[in-house]
Amino acid sequence: MSLLRLAWRNVLRQRRRTALLSLVVVYVTVAVLFLFGFLDGYGESLVEAYAEYVEAPVVVAREVWWQDPDPENGFRELPAVAHPLVRAATPRLSLYALLRSPYRVQGGVVLGVDPEGEKALSRVPFKVSQGRWLSAPGEAVLGQRLAERLDVRVGERLVVETRKGALGLQVVGLVRAGVGNVDFGGVYVHLEDAQRLSGGRVLATHLALKVPRGKEEGVAKALNQVLPEGLRAQGVWELMGPIRADYEGSRLFYVPLLGLFMLLAAVAVVSTTYVSVRERLREFAVVESLGLSPFRLAAQVALEAALASGLGLLLGLLLGYALLWYTSTHDVFGPLMRLSVELLPESGLSEHLYTALRPVYALYAATVVGLSALLALLFPGRLVLALEPTRYLKGE
Amino acid sequence: MKRFGILLLALAAFALGQSPLEKLKSALDRLRGPAHQAVYALTVERPGSSRTYRLRVYTDGERAHLRVLEPKAEAGMAFLSLGQDLYLFDPRLGRTLRLPPSGRSERFLGSDLTYQDLMGRDLEELFQVTEEGGALRLVPKPGAPTPYGRVEVYLKEGFIERVLYYDQRGQAVRELRLGSYQRLDGAYLPRTLELKDLTRQGYRTLVEVTEVQVGPVPERCFNPLYLERGC
Repeated sequence: MSLLRLAWRNVLRQRRRTALLSLVVVYVTVAVLFLFGFLDGYGESLVEAYAEYVEAPVVVAREVWWQDPDPENGFRELPAVAHPLVRAATPRLSLYALLRSPYRVQGGVVLGVDPEGEKALSRVPFKVSQGRWLSAPGEAVLGQRLAERLDVRVGERLVVETRKGALGLQVVGLVRAGVGNVDFGGVYVHLEDAQRLSGGRVLATHLALKVPRGKEEGVAKALNQVLPEGLRAQGVWELMGPIRADYEGSRLFYVPLLGLFMLLAAVAVVSTTYVSVRERLREFAVVESLGLSPFRLAAQVALEAALASGLGLLLGLLLGYALLWYTSTHDVFGPLMRLSVELLPESGLSEHLYTALRPVYALYAATVVGLSALLALLFPGRLVLALEPTRYLKGE
Repeated sequence: MKRFGILLLALAAFALGQSPLEKLKSALDRLRGPAHQAVYALTVERPGSSRTYRLRVYTDGERAHLRVLEPKAEAGMAFLSLGQDLYLFDPRLGRTLRLPPSGRSERFLGSDLTYQDLMGRDLEELFQVTEEGGALRLVPKPGAPTPYGRVEVYLKEGFIERVLYYDQRGQAVRELRLGSYQRLDGAYLPRTLELKDLTRQGYRTLVEVTEVQVGPVPERCFNPLYLERGC
């Protein structure tokens, strides 16, 4: 306890130096908290976009369909899927089609859905901004930006053509979900129309399942143990397209970068502590001659470094969590994300991104304190351990 | 003179006896011409630029083989339309590709024409036909796969002179004009065709039919294997 008091007194003795040291740690702590919060928030927004809008929490399809998503590889009869965590299941039929208005022709993926079943699984039916959701065959609901691009309005006919057939469908609603794939590329038709467009031989291409958030991969894994041969379940994480690689790449890039930041902050703390120890070698010699062991002296040096960085950590945590709280409750990144969605409309990005706020970030940030203490023990501490008190007491 | 008057009366009576749908069918039949070979000059006009293609065409009225002669960059490209089947040979790829039926709605050589305009029977298959003010008025059948809200077909002496396509808001979006019909071997063939995109100023496609040789076309011309080497 007296060692701690002694270290604390030494930290306070050089207030300006301590303040500067702490500032470095404040900066790094805020950076660590913010970047982890941002990365986790980005990941959560992707999972939400794919689970609730673009795909589903879990999807079951034939193995051949996963390899070649041609409707011909879909289900001729729907499989029974039983798992206690599956809250809803609905068949979907996805197929590539040409969309034709009087002004433009554009290719896209059409999703045939059961209008009522979809309500239990996806948020898309609740994001209709104009008109209404599907209720019967012969109707289509489009993403709002896609409708603008094709120049089709609610009540007008849209031609959907595939290599197996063509239908003139009445646009009954436009969706504004804030997710690129839905707003820029969403085409929802009745399952029966999709079956007709695919040639009428398949009922659906896949089965979408709703499971609680966070259980997607576990349920998919469990289902794969019991599903008949030739069928495979995939969790939302596997359903993400190239954007998943972007997210994982970001983590691979930023996490080591943050580690480097923390190391540099610890080195800054330790180098200052080193200078401080060098200036106070005579003082240490006196203390050692009064009976304090060199190891306890080295511990005191480590404690000084830990206290100086600890002060910075506390302030950094305060500022960092305040920043995270603000960015997790306010749409600060909205303009940036909207721009990203415009640039990459089919990546599954959401127009809103809220940072995550988790207590564990404090633990990550605290690494800098531990690192500072460890380095202080290794370098300035060694200086104290190698101290020859008689030499310093003689004034040499 | 008296004989001509009787003939005119007989034609009028025949015309009066035809339903609007029959009139349309008969007019569409006259678009195709007899079996013939010809060179079609296709001019694609865009604001500030114009590009002309010369195409060698072989057709028996139902099937068609089109081969690009000029410009050099596209020379050798060939198209074959066999009912719902459409084939394309691209010399740059060195391969013959079969296009899906939806490919019939694609624009032909970057022009305003679609394969459907050239060979299709959409007007009689997808629309209900009535006659108003001397023109045939076509409205889509329920659920018909057409993006148009209405089509007006203007006939002159049983020949299609002008086709006006309207969007679903009542605005004319495309205009097709056909002219200089020639009677060849008992059938008729329009020698000029003009298509305007009314939503974009300066977008126009002109087709002029020249060097027509009426007569049977070798069967091999309608075999996809001959797309590459020509027939």
